[in-house]
Amino acid sequence: MSKKQINIKNNVMAQIKEGKITMHSKAYFVIGSIFLFVGLIALFILSVFLINIMFFILKAHGPMGQYRLELLISNFPWWAPLFSILGIILGIWILRKYDFSYKKNFLLLVILFIGAIVFTGWLMDATGIDNIWFKRGPMQGIMKRYIQGNNIPSPGLNKQMRNNRMMQFNQ
Amino acid sequence: MRDYKKVSDEELIEDIRSKNKELYVHIVDRYQNKLMRYITYLIHDEQKAADSVQETFIKAYINLNGFNVNKKFSSWIYRIAHNQAMNLVKKYTKEVSMDTSFDIRSNHDIEEEFSKKEIVQKAHSCLNQMPIIYSEPLALHFLDEKSYEEISDILRIPMGTVATRISRAKFIMKNICQKNK
Repeated sequence: MSKKQINIKNNVMAQIKEGKITMHSKAYFVIGSIFLFVGLIALFILSVFLINIMFFILKAHGPMGQYRLELLISNFPWWAPLFSILGIILGIWILRKYDFSYKKNFLLLVILFIGAIVFTGWLMDATGIDNIWFKRGPMQGIMKRYIQGNNIPSPGLNKQMRNNRMMQFNQ
Repeated sequence: MRDYKKVSDEELIEDIRSKNKELYVHIVDRYQNKLMRYITYLIHDEQKAADSVQETFIKAYINLNGFNVNKKFSSWIYRIAHNQAMNLVKKYTKEVSMDTSFDIRSNHDIEEEFSKKEIVQKAHSCLNQMPIIYSEPLALHFLDEKSYEEISDILRIPMGTVATRISRAKFIMKNICQKNK
């Protein structure tokens, strides 16, 4: 055994004996895993919300006449797709931290993750479930400001009423 | 008293975590030669490799409670060593020397050692000429005798990719060594 290798052993063991290095507790890793999971779920929900806003706004502006298209572009909340892309990127970064990410086809995982976000966003818009979060919580404030600022019919109605209002608005 | 030279890595880790921290010396004994060879192969600098191995053992100790005993400890510690080596490779890309003469074992007879050393040098010289993404799985498989599954866990790439890279590496190695003859 070379002198250098004996030194490695002595150095490491001396640091352990003197208490210069200590193990992280089990709780440290449990909390880390919880944060990772909660972060992933939070980013998923945030991205779904932002995608959902985009679906709603595209629908609320009605058929794509030249004027409406210009109105849509000028009023469109461009921060929504930007933040949703950021949320998706962070979500993918967290996904990479999990062991299964390299055992499966990661590209497929990314496509499934993005697909799940877009599909959930669309489904919530199509079924009107999005009314729940448009009515309460911090998301209510974001929607209220945008709707009032752009004279868009309120989403706080059931689907039939919302469609009727949109038809009136478009006429 | 338990003979710690015979117990598995995973059992030893359980005892280090719950009974006696100083049993970690057995882990250092078991892995320092292997990790030294692995990291030296990756960064071609004995001094930096020694520092890197020491840092690997320290990081492994600090994070020992995060190791899942249902998995293989060797893959886990090799993963830490891989990350350490890659950090150094990125940091000193331009500085990394191409010295391939370093060899750890030295208690064989001189003639045998010389021919072995020559073969090892030739093999290292060929390996050094191919990209690290191919040479690293090849070295892990043939020099460290790791299975495809273990290499997949160390490099965090799918097993299919490990197989493809090793197969490609063999082909590249053959071409390089034939050219060097």
